[in-house]
Amino acid sequence: MAFVSIRDLRVAFDGVRVLHGIDLDIGKGEAIGLVGESGCGKSVTWLAALGLLPGKARVEGSVTLDGQQLIGAPRSQLEQIRGARIAMIFQDPSSSLNPVQRVGRQIGESLRLHRGLRGAQARTEVLRLMDMVGIPDAKRRIDLYPHEFSGGQCQRIMIAMALAGQPDLLIADEPTTALDATIQAQILELLSGIRRETGMALVFISHDLGAVSAVCDRAAVMYAGRIVETNDIRSLFAAPAHPYTQGLLRAIPDIDASRARLVPIEGTVPDPAALPTGCAFAPRCPRNSQLCQNYAPDLKPQSAGGVVSCFYPVEADQTAMSQRQEVWA
Amino acid sequence: MSILLDVRNVVQTYTTARTMFGRTSEIRAVDGIDLTVREGEILGIVGESGSGKSTLGRMLLGLETPSRGEVIYRGNPMPPPHSVEWRALRAHMQLIFQDPLAALDRRMTIARQIAEPLEIHGLAKGDALRNRVAELMAKVGLRKDQANRYPHELSGGQRQRVVIARALASAPRFLVCDEPVSALDVSIQAQVVNLLRDLQERERLTMVFISHDLKVVRNICDRVAVMYLGRVVEEAPSDQIFSDPRHPYTQALVSSIPRPGQGLSGRIVLSGEPPNPANRPTGCAFHPRCRFADAQCAATQPELQRHDGHLAACLKFVRARQFAA
Repeated sequence: MAFVSIRDLRVAFDGVRVLHGIDLDIGKGEAIGLVGESGCGKSVTWLAALGLLPGKARVEGSVTLDGQQLIGAPRSQLEQIRGARIAMIFQDPSSSLNPVQRVGRQIGESLRLHRGLRGAQARTEVLRLMDMVGIPDAKRRIDLYPHEFSGGQCQRIMIAMALAGQPDLLIADEPTTALDATIQAQILELLSGIRRETGMALVFISHDLGAVSAVCDRAAVMYAGRIVETNDIRSLFAAPAHPYTQGLLRAIPDIDASRARLVPIEGTVPDPAALPTGCAFAPRCPRNSQLCQNYAPDLKPQSAGGVVSCFYPVEADQTAMSQRQEVWA
Repeated sequence: MSILLDVRNVVQTYTTARTMFGRTSEIRAVDGIDLTVREGEILGIVGESGSGKSTLGRMLLGLETPSRGEVIYRGNPMPPPHSVEWRALRAHMQLIFQDPLAALDRRMTIARQIAEPLEIHGLAKGDALRNRVAELMAKVGLRKDQANRYPHELSGGQRQRVVIARALASAPRFLVCDEPVSALDVSIQAQVVNLLRDLQERERLTMVFISHDLKVVRNICDRVAVMYLGRVVEEAPSDQIFSDPRHPYTQALVSSIPRPGQGLSGRIVLSGEPPNPANRPTGCAFHPRCRFADAQCAATQPELQRHDGHLAACLKFVRARQFAA
């Protein structure tokens, strides 16, 4: 059985459904990417799973961690899990840190709550964690405040806080989006390194397909509150089966090609309060038919591997696929 | 191609607020830049936050006067801000920002906002004004029925179209785009990039495109200048700078671009943080993070030098072969 198992997770705000039944399994130590445009429900999925949504959100379905149900679980039980078994880091590290508390104390708080460490013992562990996430000269900087660190270093401190509880799963919500290119590269390397060392599972939420493919084994593509395609990273990029996945990949400018015109996906993401009756992507889809406008397709396993929800999935182009595979080799 | 803007050894210094002890310190946001913008080209300016990209952009538009050096627009020095000549120039040059919601007035319909520059510069009135607004909206791909909408009723991509339509209203010759697509989703980003390209080709606009997104820069720009801590460290045609970067910083920057479908292998990961302009390293500002730096780099500040079509400021010209290895 999977370590974390999400089944038919649905979320509604004020009667408007934003998540329409998510099914996702995460194995022990697995790194999975969650990709999609803003508003597609990538973050809401995990905020719902951890009980972090505001009270007006209606959450239905099931999320289990080692068989233990999280949806509807009492607060005391969730507090045993948040931070200790599942930790989360966010896009903007400087707004997640407390500006009037020294960083050492903030990391120490996680250690006290989740591992019962105090005093000198806690301080030694804070230093070890700061070292591990690559903060130079940790001994001197443990008593500094967040504003004395750069954005990239604040993200490292957030990662140290998340690691303090020795979680089995780290959820990183757009962790590199606010960072500069060279610092983004450092954080991606840090996350993959930590995963190798600790064997922790990772959910990497991002709109940047490049960043996702750098750290994940598998990725799920979301559109308008549904998963539309899941596959291992290689196959997903070599042969995207859902027209939306294909569209996303085509829309990214190619750094190795010269000034070709970009291929955008026409139109915009639908309003969650006024979703099309059939497939939510149909109005923007080049392959849509009457069928797509009337019925929403289910996620179905494909012969080439992966699951896709589309009546007319894109067939893998053999030549293109072999070329991509060569790049990998 | 004739030269539209000529930047000659400009320096921009900001003074920080007084500290508790009454001390002020000087920050050099731009530290001696020579650059030309040719008529009809798209020049990309890339670099990390704090490298001085936006400050340079504002000086190109004459919104800031450099502390030293000068900016020459079509053979004449840039007039001082708020002078009569400067106001007249505003219609010729426009700025597009990253966040369209912040750039738009929430209480005005989009048609009114697009009409505003036409009224300010006295370019159209009455029916002519209405027709010009409709023409501008069509040009950027906004529908007629959206004219009376407010910014919050539009999506991010549509708002950026409104900002572009408004910038084009006075028929400018020169456009500075400061991170124009960074806040947009990938699929929408492609729509706006295509729009900017079409406009540039159709209207023969000259553009400076400031961005940290190298993939977009590669796609839209003819020429690219890479900035590090207030200086240009490399300048070359777009094709060359991405396929064969010469400056070690550009090499790291190009290799740090995550490529869909490829892992982390073969990347040059720089150690350390981008330096603080208030506390700049001696010699070459990049030397503390550079894998090729030696004692000479810490002592001498390199100047831009021509090298097979590239301009690069590095004491140790690193060949492309080493980069590939």
